[in-house]
Amino acid sequence: MKAKLKVGMISFAHMHAASYLQALLARKDVDLVGIADENRERVRPFLERYGLAYYEDAGKLLATDVDAVVICSENVRHAPLTVQAAQAGKHVLCEKPLGISEAQMREMIEACRANGVQLMTAFPCRYLASVIEAKAAVDRGDIGRIVAVKGTNRGTMPGGWFADRSLSGGGAVLDHTVHVMDLMNWFLNSEPEEVFAYAATLFHREPIDDAGMVHVKFRNGVIAVLDPSWSRPAAFPTWGDVTMELIGTKGTLFVDAFAQKNEIYNNERMKPSWSYWGDSMDDRLIEAFVLALREDRSVPITGEDGFRSARVALAAYASAQQGKPVRLAPWDRTDG
Amino acid sequence: MRVSIIGCGTMGITYAKNLASMEEADLAGVCDIDAARAEEAAKAGGTRAYSDYKAMLEMENPDVVCVCLPTYLHKGTVIELARLGKHIICEKPIGLTLEEADAMIEACRENGVRLFVGHVVRFFPNYADAAGQIARGETGGPGVAHLKRYGSYPQGNGQWYHDRNKSGGVIMDLMIHDIDFVRSVYGEADAVYAAKAQSGGEDPFEYAMVTIHFLNGAIANLTAYWGYPGPFTTEAEFAGSQGVLRLGSESSRSLIVTSKEKGPEGKAAVQVPQSPMRHDPYYRELKHFLDCIRDGSEPLVTAEDARAALEIALAAERSCQTGQPVAIGGKRA
Repeated sequence: MKAKLKVGMISFAHMHAASYLQALLARKDVDLVGIADENRERVRPFLERYGLAYYEDAGKLLATDVDAVVICSENVRHAPLTVQAAQAGKHVLCEKPLGISEAQMREMIEACRANGVQLMTAFPCRYLASVIEAKAAVDRGDIGRIVAVKGTNRGTMPGGWFADRSLSGGGAVLDHTVHVMDLMNWFLNSEPEEVFAYAATLFHREPIDDAGMVHVKFRNGVIAVLDPSWSRPAAFPTWGDVTMELIGTKGTLFVDAFAQKNEIYNNERMKPSWSYWGDSMDDRLIEAFVLALREDRSVPITGEDGFRSARVALAAYASAQQGKPVRLAPWDRTDG
Repeated sequence: MRVSIIGCGTMGITYAKNLASMEEADLAGVCDIDAARAEEAAKAGGTRAYSDYKAMLEMENPDVVCVCLPTYLHKGTVIELARLGKHIICEKPIGLTLEEADAMIEACRENGVRLFVGHVVRFFPNYADAAGQIARGETGGPGVAHLKRYGSYPQGNGQWYHDRNKSGGVIMDLMIHDIDFVRSVYGEADAVYAAKAQSGGEDPFEYAMVTIHFLNGAIANLTAYWGYPGPFTTEAEFAGSQGVLRLGSESSRSLIVTSKEKGPEGKAAVQVPQSPMRHDPYYRELKHFLDCIRDGSEPLVTAEDARAALEIALAAERSCQTGQPVAIGGKRA
């Protein structure tokens, strides 16, 4: 077992990078080598506060002896950066969605396989304490056989490059389908077979989808629906939610992942706010990544998992455009 | 106004209690083929029980008749009452098919009587308030809505709810409340997509998820569940360009009684959460319909609205079977 893992971070375009940075810094078994980001201003506070090395070019960071990198770039750059890291022999933890096309994601998975490195997709929601308990309850059969699932991952409009299709590859439907979709795939041990969806621009001026409803039928017969809309207004107490309701033959199970909160009513803010006091899911995600690499085990959430989830969002766009359901080929038939 | 009731199941008894307490109404007989049920309703409403509705109509000569029968009996009963010149308050859904609904509406029009359909959710104060807030623009332009309605599997007389040919199932019977309500908020629907999970046998359930796309662009996902093991639960959320409105039965309990005393069956009494009001929504609904009859005004929810909700429910059923979205016939160019 490796005593310490050398980790570098590539791009802070996605705000989750700051949280992953904290999680990495808190670990005694991680040596955080530095940050690569073409935008120095964006990462300057972190470089200064923690005395980290800076690389303007990701290739320079990849030329060092780091074992692994965490990629939090704009969505369109996930594939080229992951392939570059794989070719440099570095393991990768990549922010979601894994990629913006099936071909791109297959290329990422293949590059990592060919170079003998691991690819993990950052789906921290698997590490929410309520989700872990829910999964255990389902596996124990507490609610019988699951027949239907309804999920929500409603959020605020993130703005910036998220609203620019040339950098994000899609709006709310891509950004917010993948988390709960991954949970559904994980809970059901099955694969989506058919997708029907609406995608629309209803809440904001930016010309990108900010509203949607994604219906999925799984191979094992389970029906599901998920709301990925950026529908939380500025007046809402928090950024958004992750909920999942499972209907089973012997009962139901409801997860409201961010219900562990205190409510605050403050005169300055003039709107209620919620202070989340539950466990950090990012700490546990980073821990899982680090321990798998140190112990030379398979990462718990693979590139294939990222693919299976993101392809549903891509199919949702196709369905919304065509106005009819879109069939998904089984993963083994599309592989390679 | 003299008001009679045909059908003394849960709804008939609810109507009897409310009409009995209403100044505007003179409850004039209740009828059920099951004499014990008729007696129970008569007692609750302080009126006379009948087991033959023709005898009741003859003896009581009502102005208005409430039809609280299983859905498959609505059409025949309503048409007969219309021919007898009675105004009619009919439970939802209006009927099992659009042909039935059209025949009922037409018969009432021809005979110059009013037909009201009991889409009572319009009269629930939390939903009525939501409709008003959204109409005033509190949530801005149309966005994404969620509506949920979960309850136990209904136990009608002779288990008629279990028979799809009599009740139409969970979409037609339960979700139709939310279909009507969300249509009252967003207007005409454009298309509907739906999926359903169900099982018969000893412990039956039916769960449906339906997404309605509206001409104004709004997207609404409705879920309904017969066989939910928890308490009857309703929730709704309307997200728009300027805000979010949420309501829920679980989050608006204004009274929670807990007791250390044993209940009547020897079990420890459980919490009984309530949200009491001076009048229940059925009182508001029935009073409104009687007011409409008296002054000839248009009701908050018309028989045509009931037909439109049925059309969406039927389209949702078809979508469940075909796996394809179904366009709504009322679609305007």
